[in-house]
Amino acid sequence: MRKLLHAILLGLLGAGIVHVVVLLLVPGFSERDAWSRLAMASDLYRMTRLDAEAGGAPVVKSVDPLFYAAACRFDLSEGMVRVKAPGNVPFWSASVYDRGGHNIYSFNDHTATGKVLDTIVLTPAQMIEIRKDLPEELQGAIFVEAPIDEGMFVVRSFVPDDSWKPVVSRFLEQSSCELQDY
Amino acid sequence: MLKNAFLTLLALAIAIGGGGGSVWYALKTQDGIGAIRIGQWTAFPDIGTQAADPYSKARVAREGVLALGQAEGLSFVAERDSGGELLKRQCAYEIEGGFPTARFWTLYAADQSLGVVETGKPRPAALQSYQVLRQPDNSVVISVGNRPAPGNWLFSDGVGRMYFVLTFYDTPIASSTGLSDVTLPQIAKVGCNA
Repeated sequence: MRKLLHAILLGLLGAGIVHVVVLLLVPGFSERDAWSRLAMASDLYRMTRLDAEAGGAPVVKSVDPLFYAAACRFDLSEGMVRVKAPGNVPFWSASVYDRGGHNIYSFNDHTATGKVLDTIVLTPAQMIEIRKDLPEELQGAIFVEAPIDEGMFVVRSFVPDDSWKPVVSRFLEQSSCELQDY
Repeated sequence: MLKNAFLTLLALAIAIGGGGGSVWYALKTQDGIGAIRIGQWTAFPDIGTQAADPYSKARVAREGVLALGQAEGLSFVAERDSGGELLKRQCAYEIEGGFPTARFWTLYAADQSLGVVETGKPRPAALQSYQVLRQPDNSVVISVGNRPAPGNWLFSDGVGRMYFVLTFYDTPIASSTGLSDVTLPQIAKVGCNA
């Protein structure tokens, strides 16, 4: 009987250890995280719609039904990435995520000059490089310094009612996510 | 000998089963570590940031969530009404009260996976602040149910559990210091189609 009790206590102690280990391993081994889902849907530097409206199941979960969203994956070790979207929509917001889906930086249309989405994501080292001689066409862009290699850029845009659907769809479909040579 | 083997096996089963099961349970419950509760509404302001606790991080990885950034907005989820009962899709509710400062907000009825409730009709189970009618004191009254209602009507239909997701966009409350004196609307049950 004492042996049984001993085994159960040992088991509970083990359960505690397993709990902590599993919890810490989940982020590293998950194949259902946002990056993996996006990787299944499209290639690097390709803007992909996240909501179900574009056809098919939503790529990433829990997008507000009154919002459309698009995302692209990038790799800063290949160079900096420039994200642009033309057009005027009621509200847009953008976020930079790292490989594990952590939000590194976010901003919305009030931050941008003239409400136009024109952003460059780059590493601090690339930032030092580009500061030496800032090209003319990048003057109005928002620079996001992110100390990461692989990451994701997400643009979300508000659809107040049905009449805005084509406008917001066009805004996201014409958005670009390009590797910028410098 | 056999008894020892059995005891070892038992200890291992408890350790692996209990450890794994408790993680699964902790990630499944809506209420968790790092949650902020205001009335019936729960938010995870730290979710998806590097500062998040391990439970939030695991939840993000497992569900493939891309959480809203601080400059974007903050989501609150309610799973119970003000009486403490679980929200049901077959019941009618009234959401009433003031809303904190934000550029705008959206409210939708959600199912278990926090996706919007499928109504099978062109009208979505979602409302946003530009389309609501307000009371003289700037508060909002929203009727939730499958029968059209005067004023603000949030259409929901079907049976089973329901959640309300209330998201504030471009709001100062997303920075955690702003959360201390925020009040959110009450959810009162009106009746049920049993």
